[in-house]
Amino acid sequence: MRRLIATLSTAIAMSFGIVTLWGLLAGGGVVTSLANILLQLVLLTVAVSILIGIINLFGVHFGRIRYREGNWGYSIIVILTAALVIALWLFNADDANMILLENAQVAVESALAGLVLFALVFGAYRLMRRRVTWGGILFTVSLLIILIGALPLRETAFIADARAWLLAVPVSAGARGILLGIALATIVTGVRVLIGQDRSYRESENI
Amino acid sequence: MDTTTQFITVIILCLTLLTVVQGALVARRRKDAFPLRPIAAYDAIPYMVGTAIEADRPVHVSLANTGLGGSNTLLTLASAEMFYQTALRADSSLLTASDPTVLPLTYNLLRRAYVQRDREDRFSGSRIRWYPSGTQSLAFAAALTATLGDERVSGSILLGSFGAEMALVLEAAHRKKQGSIASSVDLQGQAVAYAMAGETLIGEEMFVAGAYLSDNAAQRGAVVALDTLRWLLIFGIVIFTLVAIFEPVKNALFGGG
Repeated sequence: MRRLIATLSTAIAMSFGIVTLWGLLAGGGVVTSLANILLQLVLLTVAVSILIGIINLFGVHFGRIRYREGNWGYSIIVILTAALVIALWLFNADDANMILLENAQVAVESALAGLVLFALVFGAYRLMRRRVTWGGILFTVSLLIILIGALPLRETAFIADARAWLLAVPVSAGARGILLGIALATIVTGVRVLIGQDRSYRESENI
Repeated sequence: MDTTTQFITVIILCLTLLTVVQGALVARRRKDAFPLRPIAAYDAIPYMVGTAIEADRPVHVSLANTGLGGSNTLLTLASAEMFYQTALRADSSLLTASDPTVLPLTYNLLRRAYVQRDREDRFSGSRIRWYPSGTQSLAFAAALTATLGDERVSGSILLGSFGAEMALVLEAAHRKKQGSIASSVDLQGQAVAYAMAGETLIGEEMFVAGAYLSDNAAQRGAVVALDTLRWLLIFGIVIFTLVAIFEPVKNALFGGG
């Protein structure tokens, strides 16, 4: 039975993938319409997965409260807040939801954004403290040039030129290199899914 | 999509298909034909898992906001493979994600890992955590910093599309003396990972977890294919560069007209 399910899921993944790819390449006709239907199916799946997410959220936090796990008090706040937001949504109280979002979520995220700066500065300091490598030195020197070069001072004008060159040539080249690597790996992973080599959706390792 | 783009896409796909199939065949026939180059982050994973088992603590894997059905689908599959390989080895694993589409996938992978080890009774859905939030959300990063402490994790593997907010998580991990391996497809997040994580995976390295952590010939074949395509790309870039500079250099040396 497991073998049958694995074969079926592989066949579905392969055929859906090939139809979608063909639909994108063809740019019209029956296959494109079929590909669009499949993409709409994805939206439905996303909606179902949000429901799974909500069940997961409540399940995890009720479990934390039940077994009195560390800082379980916060789980009560999470459950109450989630229930409040769902209730507001059910009663179409969008204004109240927006107030919650603007007064709580945005304020908290703004405060955290301030903390990111300190975490980054400490991280750069720790990079050299942990181990001095050529890569680390290059990283720190580049970071200093970028930061000092951004200062609006006449005395640091030559560093501003070095900063502009750094950003235009080595940084841009490095970024493109990383993005090309990711693109290549994405294509290889995509082809592996299309030919049924990927095992994520299978039931067993050996099938 | 215009005809030229269609043509190039088909060529790239055919070439990739050929190299992936050929790579898998070669890797299956001769295991040592293409030894994998060492990557420090993958070398560190067994140590991280071993430390976690000794301390009876979980290994934490975060997929951030990557999910299925969007532009990050393939990255999600690759990251999920890393989670599966970690769950296969660790006594206890914890996964956090902000995109709900990864939940069914990761539930299945975690259960499969326990089944593989004949410990299905230990499977618990609460080891997968959904923290709803938007793209590169600071709220998600804040939730992770709390989780690192509450769950007393031994080490964290952060993959996906983190931005600068990854600094908060890595800083918290460092303060709690927890190991960390990080990578991001976002360049800001990648820079933060390089500076602050214990080990870093760069670019395509995060797509090859299966090859480095398992003994699967198809996975190793994918690395062979990736390396072959990389060399082809380098060759192509060099050729096009030479073609582009040939005329100006010839004019400069011999005088143009």
